Amino acid sequence: MGDFWFEFVEITQTIGDGLFFGATYSLIGIGFTLIFGAMHKLNMTYAAASLAGAYVGLAAFTFVNAPALVVFLISALASGLIGLVVYVACFRFIPVNNHLAALMASIGALFFIDEIVVHTTDGSPLTFPAMFEYVMLEVGPWGLRGDLLFVLAVSVASTVGLLYVLYRSRLGLATRAVSQQDVAARLCGIDVHRTNATTFVLAGLLGGVAGAMTAAAVGVLSPLVTVPLTVKGLIVTVIGGLGSIPGAIVAGLLVGGLENVFLYFRGVNERDMYVLLLLFVFLVFRPHGIFGSAIDRD
Amino acid sequence: MSYYLGLLQLIGVHTLLGLSAYVLMLTGQLSLGQAGFFAIGAYSAGILTVIFELPILPALLAGALIAAFFAFLVGFPALRVKGLMLVVATIAFSEFVRLFFFNLSWRVPRGDIHVGPDSTNGFREIRYFVANGWSAWEITTFVWIFVILVMAALWWMDRSRAGAVLRAVGEDELAAQSAGINLTAVKVTAMTAGGFIAGIGGALYAHTATYVDHLTFTVLLATFAISYPILGGLSSVFGTLVAVIFIQGVLVEGLRFLGDWRNIVFGLLIIAAMNLKPSGLFDARTTLLLRRSVGLGGRE
Repeated sequence: MGDFWFEFVEITQTIGDGLFFGATYSLIGIGFTLIFGAMHKLNMTYAAASLAGAYVGLAAFTFVNAPALVVFLISALASGLIGLVVYVACFRFIPVNNHLAALMASIGALFFIDEIVVHTTDGSPLTFPAMFEYVMLEVGPWGLRGDLLFVLAVSVASTVGLLYVLYRSRLGLATRAVSQQDVAARLCGIDVHRTNATTFVLAGLLGGVAGAMTAAAVGVLSPLVTVPLTVKGLIVTVIGGLGSIPGAIVAGLLVGGLENVFLYFRGVNERDMYVLLLLFVFLVFRPHGIFGSAIDRD
Repeated sequence: MSYYLGLLQLIGVHTLLGLSAYVLMLTGQLSLGQAGFFAIGAYSAGILTVIFELPILPALLAGALIAAFFAFLVGFPALRVKGLMLVVATIAFSEFVRLFFFNLSWRVPRGDIHVGPDSTNGFREIRYFVANGWSAWEITTFVWIFVILVMAALWWMDRSRAGAVLRAVGEDELAAQSAGINLTAVKVTAMTAGGFIAGIGGALYAHTATYVDHLTFTVLLATFAISYPILGGLSSVFGTLVAVIFIQGVLVEGLRFLGDWRNIVFGLLIIAAMNLKPSGLFDARTTLLLRRSVGLGGRE
């Protein structure tokens, strides 16, 4: 029994840690899905902008020794600002029905932001400060990492905040109106461009939090993370169903949990391959994602 | 001189890469998976000439066929989704292939050294051309024979019924379907053809560069692949060729004096180009103006 029990504890521990870490994927996925829902366009820059926000937060920590909360706040604000710039540069002036051009422009912005980060940091990974003392809660044979618990708490808090804005404020009403029928929204006197810009800022704020949390949980911030995080965010968005916020949350946790299972059995080099295969499994058996059945659009 | 021949080879290889995306874009599909097919062609052909010691021509064809086979496989699940979802699916495929080669280690003894793909260290010994004493001129000619063959085939196809079918699907899927066109067959065929062309490009690339590793086949390469037909427009295969010469010959080489800052400028240029000319630098209007200015008349 000893061996089996040990293995069981080990695996459930791994899945648990993954679920907690998956909360950051959920946040990134929500960002992609939010912008897709509003404009029916993919913003490829999103994950890069989130990490760039985390870099600004890290700068605040390094140069003025800002406390943890301020670092998170600055990361969020910086990423929100980058979101606004990306909207103006890549979406605002490109014809609404030209999806390809907007996609290409945002890929251009992805490389641009990535290169700026590489240049300012000389391409080397930087240590992100552990925001807290190392805490380990003991629950029976399982341990709960304090920082991962915090990651989950912040994710839940920011998701609740986002849902509040979307469903309880005039701004959210406008955002949802534009996403459902932008012509009708325009006829009701909603400024589509301003609403879209606000969506980008909102998504950016969320992304900044996610970026800083990812960095805090991993302990380093490196430009090498950009593309994998972009790909995982996109996978979460597709698995959850494009445009579905609950879908992004569930899919983020799912990807986080399974990722750790793959890590446990196959090692770090092969882990991401299986995550990518997961996407194809969904494309074959459930192409509209977990929560996407109601949405059947291009 | 060898520098310019090298550049010419690179332009040839990238033209094939761009054309592989061009075929798909005719049917209205945008794929960021071309880097993956390119990688499959490069590694397969490399393994065949290095480990199995085949001559270049069968190795190249086999590499292209293997890439086409995987494009065919990817085609079915990926084409169930459309538009932006396909972009996500193909990025995922491309990254999967890259990670596969990142993990692939297949070393065999050859004399007193070991050759073959060596996971993170890359695949270093693809020296078929050097070992057989090909000159730079001969290699360049070899590359361009394939570029010209593929361009001619696509140009001819564009003027045949097949081209009309592809463009019909690209213009309006519903109308095409109503006219009795089998959408899945057309899209999967385009995907397979695209995989074949990218595979040839990859095989040629591996042998001209003599060295490939997983970092060669990133999302950046996939972006290059689609940026050629987007910039060059879809009116003919020559648009893609012009775009490759413009980006690889003029931008990448011309901006070399900027050193490391070149990539930043590249990102900005894409953004600027998309804002100013969302339908490509050589869209219908510009092509018409160009034709008039060189005296080809105002057809179109």
